[in-house]
Parts: sequence; C-alpha cells; structure tokens
Amino acid sequence: MNSHVSDAVFRRGRLLLWGGFLALAFALPLAFKSGFLVSLLCQIGIMVVFALSYNMLLGQTGLLSFGHAVYYGMGAFITMHMLNIIGKDGSPLTTALLPLVGGLAGMLAGVVLGYVTTKKAGTTFAMISLGIGELVAACALMFPGFFGGEGGVSGNRVVGKGDLLGFTWGPQVEMYGLIVAWAFLATVAMFALTQTPLGRMANAVRDNPERAEFVGYDTQRVRYLMLILSGFFAGVAGSLTAINYEIVTSETLNAHTSGVVLLMTFVGGIGFFYGPIIGAILITVMQIVVGGMTHAWLLYFGLFFLFMVLMAPGGIASVIAIQRNLWMAGLFGRMVPHYLAVALPVLVLLAGLVGLIEMSYALLAGEGVGAGDTATKVMKMELHLNTPGPWLAAVGVTAVGMALTRWIGGRTRAAWNAALSTLHGDKA
Amino acid sequence: MSLLNGITYGLLLFMLSSGLTLIFSMMGILNFAHASFYMLGAYFAYQISTWIGFWPGLLVAPLMVGVVGAAVERYGLRRAHRFGHVAELLFTFGLAFLVEEIVHLIWGKVAVDYRIPVELDGTLFTLFDTSFPIYKGFMMLISVGMLVALYMLLTRTRIGLIIQAALTKPDMVEALGHNVPRIFMLVFGGGTALAGLAGVIGGNAFVTEPGMAAAVGSIVFVVVVVGGLGSLGGAFVASLLIGCIQTFSIALTISITDVFAVIGVTLPEGSQVARLTITQLAPVLPYLLMVGILIFRPRGLMGARES
Amino acid sequence: MTAPAIRISGLKKNFGASEIIRGVDLDIHRGERHAIIGPNGAGKSTLFHLISARLPVTAGAIELKGENVIGLKPFEINRKGLSRSFQITNIFHNLSVFENLRCAVLWSLGYRYSFWHRLAGLADARLRAEAVMEDIGLANRRDTPAGILSYAEQRALEIGITIASGADVILLDEPTAGMSRSETDDAVALIRRVTEGKTLVMVEHDMGVVFGLADRISVLVYGQIIATDAPAAIRCNAAVQEAYLGTSMNVGNEHE
Repeated sequence: MNSHVSDAVFRRGRLLLWGGFLALAFALPLAFKSGFLVSLLCQIGIMVVFALSYNMLLGQTGLLSFGHAVYYGMGAFITMHMLNIIGKDGSPLTTALLPLVGGLAGMLAGVVLGYVTTKKAGTTFAMISLGIGELVAACALMFPGFFGGEGGVSGNRVVGKGDLLGFTWGPQVEMYGLIVAWAFLATVAMFALTQTPLGRMANAVRDNPERAEFVGYDTQRVRYLMLILSGFFAGVAGSLTAINYEIVTSETLNAHTSGVVLLMTFVGGIGFFYGPIIGAILITVMQIVVGGMTHAWLLYFGLFFLFMVLMAPGGIASVIAIQRNLWMAGLFGRMVPHYLAVALPVLVLLAGLVGLIEMSYALLAGEGVGAGDTATKVMKMELHLNTPGPWLAAVGVTAVGMALTRWIGGRTRAAWNAALSTLHGDKA
Repeated sequence: MSLLNGITYGLLLFMLSSGLTLIFSMMGILNFAHASFYMLGAYFAYQISTWIGFWPGLLVAPLMVGVVGAAVERYGLRRAHRFGHVAELLFTFGLAFLVEEIVHLIWGKVAVDYRIPVELDGTLFTLFDTSFPIYKGFMMLISVGMLVALYMLLTRTRIGLIIQAALTKPDMVEALGHNVPRIFMLVFGGGTALAGLAGVIGGNAFVTEPGMAAAVGSIVFVVVVVGGLGSLGGAFVASLLIGCIQTFSIALTISITDVFAVIGVTLPEGSQVARLTITQLAPVLPYLLMVGILIFRPRGLMGARES
Repeated sequence: MTAPAIRISGLKKNFGASEIIRGVDLDIHRGERHAIIGPNGAGKSTLFHLISARLPVTAGAIELKGENVIGLKPFEINRKGLSRSFQITNIFHNLSVFENLRCAVLWSLGYRYSFWHRLAGLADARLRAEAVMEDIGLANRRDTPAGILSYAEQRALEIGITIASGADVILLDEPTAGMSRSETDDAVALIRRVTEGKTLVMVEHDMGVVFGLADRISVLVYGQIIATDAPAAIRCNAAVQEAYLGTSMNVGNEHE
C-alpha cells in the first residue's frame, strides 16, 4: 500500500504543477505588456495543443504520421466557415465554443481517413498518411469554394453585438485568454487519456502489437480510436489558429505543416507527456526569434533536427529526465564541470559554423533574400566577402572548434557513460 | 501520343522507385529523402552543364549524387540505425528538409535555367499533328538502358544475387545483416545514383526548382505502395500505370458531369464536383488509386509482404 | 458430455511446398495438463501458432470448447478464453511489470477500449494485476520496465501475462527454455500453481518438466502425432523411443 501514499503525493504535486503553469500562462502577458509577446504566446498555446495531439499518435501509439495537418486544417476551415455563417447573428459565446466544432471536424476527418490509414502500422502507415495528406492538400486546390483557393478563407472573430462577461475576443489579449483556456482544457484531457484503458493499450500496441492481440485487443481498432481522438485535438488546435489569425489558407493542411508538428514533437521528446510541450515552445520561439534574425533559420532548424535524431533520439525531455535521475542519485554535481568544459568548444564550433553559413547565405542567396548585409549585421562586423580573410577565419574557427569538441567531448562522453553506468548499477 | 509521354514519365518514375525499393528491401529503410537525391542530380547536372556542358554532366552528376548518398549512409544512417526504424525514417525526413534548404542557399528559391542540349532539341517525329520531341526519345533510351543495366547487374553479378536474395528472403539477409555494411553502402549509393540520373534527364525535361523533390517524392511513394512494398516488378508496373494516368488525365478535358452522362446519370447542375474536369482531377488521381489499392488489395499490386 | 477444451482434426499446414503439419488429430481434455514433445523441427511451435491463429491454417478443423475457431483473429480467440505464451519472450518492453499485467487483464474485466475510466480508479484491475504479480514473484519489481528485467524474470512475466486474463485454456511454448536448474524448478512450481483447475497445453524440451507436470503427453514427429498417452505409457512406447533415439528417422535438423 506504499504505492498508494506515493500516488496521492504525486497527485498533489501534479495539481500544483498544472496550477502553476496555468497561473504562469495568465501572468506572463500581464507582467510584460508587450504585443509581440502576446502574439508569440498565442502561437505557442496553439502549437502545444497541436504537438500534444500529434504525440498521441507518435509517442503513445507508435504511429509516425506525415499527414497530421489534415485534421488541424479541417478544424481550421470548418471553424472559419462557421464563423462566417454565424457572422452578425452570433455572440461571443458561440465564438468561444467554436474550437469544439473544429475538434469535431478534425474527429470526423479522423473517422473517414483513419479508417484507411490505420489498417497498417509502421512504415506503411507513415507512407499512407503521407499519401492521404497529399490527397487532401491537392483537393484543397481543386475546391476553391470551400478552401478559398490561393487566398484562403478569412473572417472576423468579433461576431454579433455585446460581450461575454466583458469579452468580445477582439483584442489580442482576450484572444490569448481564450487560447489558454482551451489549451489548458485540451492538455488536461489529453493527459487524462493517457491514464485510461485505451491510453494504456495504445502504449501496449506501440510496444508489441502481437502481444496486444493475444491479450484480447484488436490493434487496428486501438490505432483507429487513437487517431480519431488525436484528430479531435488537432482540430481544436486548428480551430484556435483560425480564430486567432482570422484567415485560413491551404497551407494549414499541407505537408509543410505536418512536417513542422512532427519536428516539434520529436525535438521535444516523444517518450514523455510533456515532451511535445517543450518542443512546441522551443521551436515556436526559435522560429520567431531566430527566424527574425537570419534568413538561414530553416537551415539551422534542419541541422538541429538531424543533430537531435543522431545524438538524442529521446528529445529534450529525455535529456532532462536523465539529468533528473542523475540529480536524484547524487551524480549530477559530478557532471557539471564536464558540461561546462564541453560547452566552450561547442560554442567555438557553433560560432565558426554560423559564420560560414551566414557568409555563404550573404554571398550566394542573391537578390530578394536581403543578402549582403545579413552576415555583417549578425556578427556586428563589416566583412568583405570577396576577400579570403573572413572565410579563412571562419573555417579556422570551425576547425579549431571541431578539434576541441572531439578532444574534450571524448572525455565528457567517458564521464557521462561512467555516470550512467553507476546510475543503472544503483537501480539493478 | 499520350501513351508515349506516359511511358516516358513512367520510366522516369521507375528509375526513382526502383532505387527506393532496392534500398527498402535491403535495409528496411524507407528513404524519405530519395526525391531529394533526384533534385540534387538535376542541380548538379545544371551546374556542370554551365561549366563544361550537358554530356559530361550526364555521367558525372549521378556519380556525385551516389557519392553523397553513400556518405549519408556511412556517416548518418548507420548511426540512426541503432535507434530503430523510426529514427532512420526521421533522419531521412530531416535530410530531405536540409537538402531543400541547401539548394535554396546555393541556387536560390526560383527555378534555374537547366536546358535541354541543342543537339536533342527538336522533333523526332510527328503523329496526328502532335510532335514527339527528340529529348523524350532520349529519356526513354536512357531509362531503358539503365533498366537493362540494372537487370544485368541483378542477375549476373554476385552483389546482384545478394540483393535478389534480399528481395525474396529478407529474413535470410537479416541474418547476414550486420556483416554486410559495405553492401548497404553500395546499395544506398547506387539507389541514390539512380535517382540522381533520373534528376539529370528529368530536370531539364520538366523544371529544376527547389520544390521538385516534394512534388515527385510523394508520387514515388504512391508508386511504391501501389506496386507493393519491396517488389521491383510491382514498382515497374505501378510506375508505368501512374505515368500514363498522369499524362492521360492531363490531356482529357471532359468533366465529371460528362463522365456520368455516359453512364446515364445526370448530376445536379452547379455543384463543384460536377464542374471538375478530369484535368483538374489529375493531381489527385494517383492518391485515389493508392487509397483504392489499400482498401481492396492491401499488399499492393505485386507485393508479397503484408506490411 | 462437454466438448473437449481443444479438438484438432485433420490439421495441415504448408509453407510453400513443404508440409510442416501433416494431418494432426488431437483432443485436449478439459482440466488436463497436456505436454507436446518431439524433436526439433517437428512442428510443435507451428501447431501452437495454428491453434492461436497466429498463422493461417491450410486445411483441417480446430474447435475450442466445441466452437469452430478457424478463421478467427488472434484477439477473438483470446476473448473466447484461450491464452498463450511465446517461446521468444513477448512482453511490453517499455511498460512496467505492473502495467504489463494490468494490460493483460483489462479486456477480460470488460473495460474494452474505454477512454472514460481512470485506470487508477479500477480497483479490480489493480488487485488482479497485483495478485498475479505476487503469484509470479515479481512484486518487488512492480515499477521496473519489463525490458530491463533479467531473462528468468521476463519468462515469469510472460507466463503472468498469459494467465492474468483468467483464460481457462492456457498454451505455454517452452516456458523453461534457457533457464538454470533452480529457475526451472521455480517455473514448474509456478506453472503448477497458476494453472490449477485450468486446461494447460505446453511445448517443452525438458523431460523432467514434462514428466513432472503432464497428465498426458503427445509426441509430435515430423508434423504428425505418433502417440498420445499417460507419461508412464509414453516412456515405454516403442515408436516414441525410436523417434527419440533416431534409429530409423533423423528429422532433428531439418527445420527451424
């Protein structure tokens, strides 16, 4: 009965954690009265829901989907059309409830498309989801009446007259409140789902579909149900996007959007419930902050992603979890000097690489990309890219960084392995 | 005429899907970045053609792509392999993303002027008032040549026999599996080189732009699913089938209403579906075919394996 | 008279041109412990795969408690009260021992695909999983991921998952393979305990285990049952001795 006590404590801790996050989410825009921050937070809130819904498939059921944007996009389009239909006759209350409609739209899309895709798992599922995604994206261009063609569909989230307890959703801050409320509800619901028989059997199907069949479960049915539910939450996220930006284009349901949510979720960590939250926050911030600084942002993003796949396939959440385990075992202190030691050469290496990439971009990307001054701005130096000097410097820095990283990184790795084996030794 | 065009396009698709199938059968990796190598082939060939002309590029560009592919296998995939199939798939996915960005970086975001060489510019023959360009004939020649070479390689050489064994008895080779990393590297390099060659001859026939990989990539996946995962014969049939569907449907301008009128059904006027022409439907036809196949014949046309 | 737990008649299985099961007829009585022995490659595991619908049958009939089960899916057969273990450990590697067992009991307790029950609130599932965990001696490993258990512990968990749902027909495929002497003794005691009052069919190579546990033994040689009888009778059966000593046939190394 020991487990019961710890269970209760854990639950109280969890409540505190949830409450803390909610309070933080509401406090942030009040503390910094910045329009930019509010817009950023709105985007983060939406992406958190989207990424969590994606991880219901990838992390929890083991389904790698390349077409998740379909459900997100369906939620967005249906919401936008509903918004336009209710128009003048609506009320802020109906607007506030639209994400539910979007969610149902995503769910319906899941019912129809999931029937085809979830017949298979594994690689075949990945390919089929890609094909279905392309099919829907191609359809979007074929039916401009519904999908709005190139220009998309737009609307106005302030409908009818009057307000709901003083809210019209017009100002961005009010919109943010709506997003936080929905994101919070959706997150709680998705977490609760992981604690139900279906949620647990999804894990079982992910781990070992054959065994799941031999304890009485139809794996195809489990995958199908999870996809439908995941479609619902993706639809909620899409709906929030539609209300937030007041425009939906076919971009929302194409392969690019599907790719971004996959990257976010993976980078955050698919093995933990909170992983996608970290991923959504990090990638959205990077997208907007780094994206505002350099045109090469997508290139950095791609490199970062490949780095994560090769070095930390469990994502950021797993790195955090390992540090926490080290901390609990009293081994964390031992690793700190190693982390600090390896940080320096990595920074040197990064500086060299960034220099090379930025200079290449400035030189090669040519007109229309704002080339020419990008590199000089970022590095706060006036560089003459037609002379060998800066190139040699950048290559030199990169080479030195690489050599140092290899040298010191080797020691860090050894220390790391030693710490890990002590950790697992303790456990066994 | 459409048939010839369809076969040309289908053969091009097969150059891509055969490499994809070989890699999948041997290594169990679905190479998401396969079409990126196709794109690299086109861009390399373009670059070489601006320096020393088209003909050297025809030979050099695929080789370069193959070397890049082998390097990717050696230094990237082999590492990702340790973390399982999902990591491998994600690695190739990230790679596709990266290749597109690098292409943006080096060659810009708009299409480059990769032209058909003057020697091949012109009409081969004219049939029913439509002309068949020499270059299409050249593409067919190269594709068929490559097909024959591939066939010879598979049936007459030792490596070919091992690859064939892998196609029919994947478990057997899995047992050998990790002892043959060099063959894996060769297959991956070879498969990507094939994709590169397709890029060299396809890039100037269609268009060489950063979006070309994404455009062709999903079609190639459809081909592989329709043909049956891991089946070279299936990939061949499906390539031709989809090549022809694509070219035929573009040439047809009858609308859905007309189609239904033939079978005696009148669709309500003004509905959007009714006004669509087959041409407008062209982009979705391959995907519809795929969905149909999945529902009625999940193994694919000639696939032997269930999943 | 009640139908036998399992009735197999005229069962055949071909892989391409090779016949692996060449016409098996076998009745498993209710409540008996039945062992299937035979040389390597005789088709014992294949027979299990056919009964549990992991492989499709080429020809013949299989009845489970009087009901035809040919053409059913594995999960459907499981729901009819047949549960099996695997020769190669087949567990949920990333889930804890407790979660493994809880997954195994959910269906039989009627929770199906529910996403409206909270797992933590399902006392019956928890108690049953804990009882099985106690039974198989893994209570102290409750929260350990199954993937990092020792081999013997994983084998015990494999048996635990198999019996947890309360199925009354249990198929165990080489439950003691790869175990040390003392581990085997523990496993035998465990099997004896948890299959009390149930029908057990097991494939086993360890003759000590077979003759210690089984009420009846069937000998499968080259895809056919050459004898089914009580242990003592099997021990002195001439055909069985011939098969095992290999005087006339040497089928040992042909398959698998």
